[in-house]
Amino acid sequence: MDRETRIAWLVDHYHRPRHKGALASADARVPGGNPGCGDIITVYVKAEPGENRIGAVSFEGVGCTLSQAAASILAERINKDRPSFEEILEYPPEQMIDLLGRDIAEARPGCALLALGTLKGAVKTVEMNRKLREAGHSDEQIRALRRAIAEQGEETGVVVGEGAEQAAAR
Amino acid sequence: MPETLAAVSDISARGYARPEVLVSTQWVEEHRNDPKVRLLESNEDILLYETGHIPGAVKIDWVTELNDLLVRDYVDRARFERLLRAKGINNDTTIVFYGDKNNWWATYAFWVFKLFGVENLKVLDGGRLRWADEGRDLLTEVPKYPQGNITVKERDDARIRAFRAEVEQHVKRSGKLVDVRSPEEYRGERLHMPEYPNEGALRGGHIPGAKSIPWGRAITPETHTFRPAEELRTIYEAENGLQTTDNVIAYCRIGERSSHTWFALTYLLGFKNVRNYDGSWTEWGNTVRAPIEKP
Repeated sequence: MDRETRIAWLVDHYHRPRHKGALASADARVPGGNPGCGDIITVYVKAEPGENRIGAVSFEGVGCTLSQAAASILAERINKDRPSFEEILEYPPEQMIDLLGRDIAEARPGCALLALGTLKGAVKTVEMNRKLREAGHSDEQIRALRRAIAEQGEETGVVVGEGAEQAAAR
Repeated sequence: MPETLAAVSDISARGYARPEVLVSTQWVEEHRNDPKVRLLESNEDILLYETGHIPGAVKIDWVTELNDLLVRDYVDRARFERLLRAKGINNDTTIVFYGDKNNWWATYAFWVFKLFGVENLKVLDGGRLRWADEGRDLLTEVPKYPQGNITVKERDDARIRAFRAEVEQHVKRSGKLVDVRSPEEYRGERLHMPEYPNEGALRGGHIPGAKSIPWGRAITPETHTFRPAEELRTIYEAENGLQTTDNVIAYCRIGERSSHTWFALTYLLGFKNVRNYDGSWTEWGNTVRAPIEKP
């Protein structure tokens, strides 16, 4: 794909995002924020029951053209390929840069990789929630644990998941 | 123009020290086909220009075109001159910057151009947002201009740029410092997301003695245009004790937002000696033993 075609492809994904919107009965909803420039992506992940594999993903978000186009392109790929959790967690950021076009994405790596980083965070959340359930925790207890982690993160300056939207929007 | 849009006062009536550096959307509308005027769009959003821009405008990218891609610095004179000539800029061209985020990247480009002594620079007051809010044309057609003939000077890093060692001396002398980041950044409540490459720092807080004056305070939110001089004086002088004769250093994370404040202080309020510390918090907050105040 030449540069001009790729720019048109990215702008098209920005204007007509695929898989945008909340995903009903998602197993995880994880927000991610880009420091400084205010890009926000919230990723919804639904896992295949009983498998360590994606069933469906969607996203919501606001921000620059590249961050939102990257989220749409990633969601399209994930919904088509239904990769395993391991494949997502091992997906190299460099490969995402190449997918979007190195000449464009390399100049704004934070924007280009926000969706991938947030998706990885969502997959980890699904994995951890499953482990917590296996250990006997109820959904309510898991939510309380996550709120506590988020509050602790704010105190240390590390914002993970809950609170990332507000922090990025400041 | 939409009827509900907040009105903008005349630039000449706002009491600025150098009102000629700002132009209105109407001025741009009337001059966008003027061969001696070149519009340069400078955005944070790398693809925003491609989604539509002011007819005739040329894109300039602060990362790939103004920065050296190896060393953390700006391009040298030869490369900068080639860049400007490729955009059809001549010695007698008036350059008008505009961009997203209330012009913060436009003023950043303005500041870099000033490092090279380029004259005839202006900023579109209200930037891209005001232009779009007024319902004016945004086209995707990329214009092509004949090669320009501008000659630029060697970059002068002494006058309006500050380096870390100079900031350290400035702190020791209790010089005036303006931290233009958000209050959360100033207080050291930094945001860091795992796995995301970002322009972060290992430590949060601010340079000792710095006043917190977020860059966006210079903007009237309803119109995206610069506040009148009287309101700016209230913010910078009355509230924060700065004086036009002060030696001031402004900083943010990488020098982009602080270039906006540098612009407001220098051109709108007439401060004589303002420098932008482009190393900013990504340098200071990562430097071993650099003194930090928090909150």
